[in-house]
Order: sequence, then structure tokens, then C-alpha cells
Amino acid sequence: MKVFLDFCMWFFGGFILFYMLFVIVSYCAMFVIAMLVMRKRYKLDPSEYDDAHTDAFYSKPVSLLVPAYNEEIGVVDTVYSLLNLRYPQTEIIIINDGSTDSTLQTVIEHFRMKPVDKIVRTHIPTKQVKQIYESEIYKNCILVDKENGGKADALNVGINVSQYPYFCSIDGDSILDEKSLLRVMKPIVLSDGEVIAAGGNIRIANGAKMQLGSVTETHLSNNYLVIMQIIEYARAFLMGRIALSKYNLVLIISGAFSVFSKEWAVEAGGYSTNIIGEDMELVVNIHRLIRKKKEKKRIEFVPDPVCWTEAPQSLGVLRNQRRRWHQGLFESLWKHKTMTLNPKYGLIGMLSFPYFWLVECLGPLVELGGYIYIVVAFFLGEIYYEVAIILLLLFVIYGVIFSIASILFEAWILNTYPKPRELLRMILLAFTEIFWYRPLTLFWRCEGLLRFVLRRSDWGNMKRVGIGEKEKSV
Amino acid sequence: MIKLSIPFLLTVSGILLTVLFLFTIYILVQRKREIRFAEVRDTFLQNSSQQWYNYLINDEIFSIVLVPRERAQVAAIEIIFSSYLKNISNEKVEHKIKEFSNLYLKKYYEKDLTSKRWSIRMNALYHIADLQIEDLLETCLQFGKTKISEEEYFQLLKIYSLFQPELFIEKIKESNIHYSESEYRRVFVLLEDDVFIRLFEDFNSWTTNIQFAAIDTAAVKRNIQYIDRLKQLLTHEVPEIQIRALKGLYEIGVIDEIDPYVPFVTSDMWEIRLMVAKIFKHVPLNYTYAYLEQLLQDENWWVRSQAAKTIAENRDGIAKLQQFMESSNDPYAIDMARETIVRKRGNK
Repeated sequence: MKVFLDFCMWFFGGFILFYMLFVIVSYCAMFVIAMLVMRKRYKLDPSEYDDAHTDAFYSKPVSLLVPAYNEEIGVVDTVYSLLNLRYPQTEIIIINDGSTDSTLQTVIEHFRMKPVDKIVRTHIPTKQVKQIYESEIYKNCILVDKENGGKADALNVGINVSQYPYFCSIDGDSILDEKSLLRVMKPIVLSDGEVIAAGGNIRIANGAKMQLGSVTETHLSNNYLVIMQIIEYARAFLMGRIALSKYNLVLIISGAFSVFSKEWAVEAGGYSTNIIGEDMELVVNIHRLIRKKKEKKRIEFVPDPVCWTEAPQSLGVLRNQRRRWHQGLFESLWKHKTMTLNPKYGLIGMLSFPYFWLVECLGPLVELGGYIYIVVAFFLGEIYYEVAIILLLLFVIYGVIFSIASILFEAWILNTYPKPRELLRMILLAFTEIFWYRPLTLFWRCEGLLRFVLRRSDWGNMKRVGIGEKEKSV
Repeated sequence: MIKLSIPFLLTVSGILLTVLFLFTIYILVQRKREIRFAEVRDTFLQNSSQQWYNYLINDEIFSIVLVPRERAQVAAIEIIFSSYLKNISNEKVEHKIKEFSNLYLKKYYEKDLTSKRWSIRMNALYHIADLQIEDLLETCLQFGKTKISEEEYFQLLKIYSLFQPELFIEKIKESNIHYSESEYRRVFVLLEDDVFIRLFEDFNSWTTNIQFAAIDTAAVKRNIQYIDRLKQLLTHEVPEIQIRALKGLYEIGVIDEIDPYVPFVTSDMWEIRLMVAKIFKHVPLNYTYAYLEQLLQDENWWVRSQAAKTIAENRDGIAKLQQFMESSNDPYAIDMARETIVRKRGNK
């Protein structure tokens, strides 16, 4: 028995150590790439581009899709933020996905929506549209009332109703910076259509002050859970998206704020309604289509466009969210498993898929195993102490040091939290990450994996308090 | 090989934490400097805004206190100038800004062009073009001979187009870099008419992006002298050029004869038929109705929709659409006519 236990401890210890080293090296490489990309732009005056491209002559029209299911609190602010966008040609399409609260009534009253007869072209089959409305105040603002069919179905309706060649999906609780659309469209405009989809940087709005759909001041939230998520977003942004985007390896661009070429999205079948991670699914389907058509097209992540979104403030809601995200990731990867290590799909198959499988998807399982190993090793006696301490130090490098580096780098380049006190608070909190936040999220993500295996999909909606109001409830 | 031991990892963690600690100190110091820079800039802005207004708008005598003494004051002047140039179209103001920039800001941008940092050089090139610092043309030419990025070269093209259009045409011909249509448009709109017309003389020798951008720019300039050039392109072998030329002619909005457009009503490409439906907006309905009725029954939704819109925009358009609904057997065309009528009435 002891021999078997010894073998297991050495085997798992070695495996976890090797895995951690692999992840740390991958993250280091991506961090260096991100630093080089971002450093080049440091202190560049972006107003030159912004000013030139606020003219329709230099840009391309975009349909803004806002799917809303029970978003009565946030939807008005979201639409105002879209009306405030500095962009020459847009139409706003709010899709009420059979909400059971007063979302429909709120939008009708607030924007004086009037029913209209409009022929909708069915590019993608969807649930039935009940009525289309047009705003009497804002001519470019449309409301579509439809039967409940989920976010993906609502977005597909939006695509069908839209009239412009590009569409941008925005969550019903998110707020866009006035220049964000201009900048997320930049790679699309400058590449003459070689870039067919682009995603923007998402920031957490809890703690920000808002007025009529614009973020007027940013403050660091007082909620530790929210601060940890801010750190997590910064790390994901620096140690993943930028580097992957540089080599056209992006598999996820956030559904909360992304632009797609309508032609390509429609040809890829639109958003899939039978899957949790519909945004990832669409990106992967487009990558497949690019390969199939053998065209030189790209999907990019754009570092500065900012979309403010509300982060969960309680453990229960955060658990639901993470579980759902991870289940969605696993589901998409599993669905497209044949792309993994398949040279037919180029770097997407050979690099991106293995990375997402090993680091993003199965990582939580190994990491959680690492935590369990450390606890068990301390009980088993001194011969395992050394492995446990080495593992712990690797966790420190992986969890603490990368987090602090991301916070500092983002503060340096993007100046997100200009107050030194806020910066120091974030750094101090990052030291505590590996003791509470990390194990908790790992556990929830593993739950997501388990739920996929058990084919459970009864995930709930996030309870929102509205970005502008949220601090009151902290 | 490096042995993964506790002392080794402790050392690595210690070194990394020390580096991050030093980086934190650097960021905090940098933040302090940025705050001080912003304070000086804002104070200069506040104190000199009225004097700038008096000098630029009220023609008062130039005061030496307006000359910047440090970088933060240059930043303040950039903000002031940018706001005047964006919001006021006045040759006298533009001339004064140009004169001042050539005299007092030139040395700052000349120095910036030698910076090791790409972003600083780019900012300098932006300002040289925006503030029309012609005195730096020679410096820019020398700068162009060094190893520079595509973005910098594009800014140089913009500068040449402003200060020496001949050189611009020469440089654009010899350049191996291909920019996007949107970028070419940004330069072409700056060109004087005679230089711009020269682009059309060698039309077929340009790359497609330049061709497309030239057509689109001709459309946006809305100059009648470009109509003949665009009409010549209607027989071009590349359909995309035909479409763009039609779009350009639609945007200029002066249609003196319909004969050149009639063959496009039966084109194989729906985009061409769509553009014809649009162009007929600028022609009285009695000349075009027969063609528009044909386009209203087109197999393509966009063409039908545009034909209905074009008819409805005419004074007798609604009556014509109603007549059509009564006599037609095409359910799609009838739907489109009905939706257009409802929409038109709703707008009223």
C-alpha cells in the first residue's frame, strides 16, 4: 500500500510540477509578446485616427445588436451609451428575447417606440418575431420583440433585421466608451476587410460613476471579489488575448463587445442556439470557414476599445458565471475536437486548440490537483515537503507575480486606475489570490467540467443591479 | 541544466518581486511627473486661451508670452490649435497657426523625429501635417531615407501631399507598400483638384486600392469636373470599378442623360442594378419608371427595396406604387411596395 501511495505521490507531484512549468513558460511568452505590442503604442496620440474616422467616408456602417432578456435595469443605459458613440453610421437594434419583466415596456416608453411593418430577410432561421418597433426620437433605433429563444437566437434575429455589412454584439447590461466602436473597427477598416471579426477589451464597471450611458469617473470597487475579477481580467488580457491575436489564434472574443462581418457570420451559420458558449462557437466556425474557403482573413483582439460590464458581486453569482463559462468552453472544444492537432487547420489546430485544451480547459483540474497535493503532502510527512514547497512557489509565481505584473503593466500603458492608492490596494490583494480566490474559481471551473460530462445545462441568469447603481448594494 | 529546487525558486521569486517592486516605484514616480505635466499644461491653457482667441480671431497683436517654454506648454498649444482647426474654417486663422507653428514649434517636432520611440515620431509627423509645418519638409525627406515603419511612411505621404503634391505622386508610384483604401482616401481628399485629376490620367497603372480610393474620393469631393472621368469608367472591365463609378455618379448627383445607365438595369450583378436604382433618384420619374418597375420585381431584395424607395421619393411615387400593387402578380414586389408606402406615410 505504501509503495503504491509513494508511486502515486511521485507521479502526480512530477506531473503537476511539469504542467505548472509548462503553463508558466507559455504565460511568460505571451506576456513578453503583449508587452512588445503594447509598448510600441505607449504615448501614441490616438486622436489623429479617431478624428479622421468619425467621417463616414473613412469608415464602414455598423449595426449594433443588443439582446435583452430581463434587462429592465441596464438596457436603457446601454442604449444611451450606444447613442453617445462617436461613430458616423450606426443602427441600434434592441432584441427583447421574450423577457418576463418589463424590459419591453421600459424600452417602448423610454425611446417612444412605435410599431412598424418591416419585412425581415431570414438569413438565419430563428424563433418568431412578434413585432418590430422604431423609435420616434432616434431614427436609427429599432426594437424587435420576439419569442424567447436564448441569447444566440436573439442575436440571430438582430443579424436578420440589420441592414449594414458589420454588426456589433453588446450585452444588455454593458456600457461602451464613446470611441470604442471607432477603435474596434480600426483593424477592419485599415485591413480592407482582411480582418472579419474583432473583439474589444472588457473592463469591470463596478465602482464607476455613470451618467446617461457614459462612464464619467472610475473608482476601484470596495468589494474584494470585484477587485479580484479586475485583476483576473487584466491578466487574461495581457497573458492571452494580445499574443494570440498577433498570430491570428484567437478562439474567444467576448460576446459582450465584438464586431463581425455579417457576410461571414451568416455563412458560418450565425450564432449556435444549442450551445452555451455561442460567442466562442461563432469564432471557431468562422475559423473553419476561413480554412475551408482558403482565404486570407483574420480575427483580432483590439487592446483599447473599452466595454464596461457589471461583474458579479456575490460568491453565488460568480460561481454560476464561472461554471457556465467553463462548461461552455469545454462544450465548444469538445464539439470541434477534430480540429485539435489537425494540420488542416494550420496554427489554429496545431497551437490554439492544444493551448485551450491544456491550459484553459483542463488546467483547473491539474491546478486543483496541485492544491490537494500540497495539503496531502504536508500530512504524509517530510519526504514530500520539498515537492509541496516547490509547487507552492510555482503557484506564487503563477498566481501572485503574474497578477502583479499584469496590474502594473496595465497601469503603465493604459492608465486605468490613476490613483496610486488604488494601484497599491490591487497589488496587496493580488498577494492573497492564491489562498482564496484562485482555489474557489478552480473549484467552480471543475464543477463546469463535471456538469458538461453530466450534460447539465440548467444555468441561471446573473442577477443584475445595474451598473450605475451597483455600489449602493455593495 | 537548471535544477528545480526550493532555493532556486525562492531566488527567482525574490528577483521577480524585486523587479516588480522597482517597477511600482517607477510607475508612481512617472504618475507624479504626468500629474505635474498636466498641471503646467492646464495652467497654460487657462491663462493663455483668451490671449490666443484675441490673437487668432480678434486680430490683436501677438504677445511673446504665447511662445512655449517647455513641453507641457507645447501640449497646451497643440490642444488649442487642434480645437480651432477642427471647429473653425477660416483661412486667416489657419495661416496664423501655420506661421506660429513654423516659427516656434518646429524645433520640438524636429527633435521628436530623432526619438527612438516610434510613438513619439508618429506624434511629431501627425503634428507636422496638422499644423502645416512646411519648414520641416527637408527634415521629413531625410527622415524618409532612414529605416521607418509603414505607418511613418504613410504620414510622410500625407505631408508630401500637402507641401509638394508632385513629390507625392512620384513617391506613391515608387512605393512598394500597399495601404488600405481608407488610408488612400485620407490622403487623396487633401489633394488640389489638378493633382487629383492627374491620378485619373494613369488610372489603369495604379493598384486596385488606389483606383477604388480615387473613385470614392471623386464622389465625395462632389465636383462636376469629375463626372466625365467617372462616366468613362462605366465601361471598365472590372465590375467593382463599374459599381464604384456608379456610386460616385450617384453621390455627385448630377445626371444629365439616362442612356449610359439603361444597359445596367439588366446587368448580371445585383450590386450594379442596385446602383442604377439609386441613380434614378436624380432623374424625373416619368423617364425612369419603366426601368424602376422592372427593378421593383428584381430577384434581389436590396434591388427591390431600393427601386421602391426611389419611386416613393418622387412626388407621384406613392400613387405609382399603389397602381403597381393593384396590377402586379409578384407577391415579393407587392410586399416591398406596401412596406415602402407604409414607411413613407409613417415618416410624414
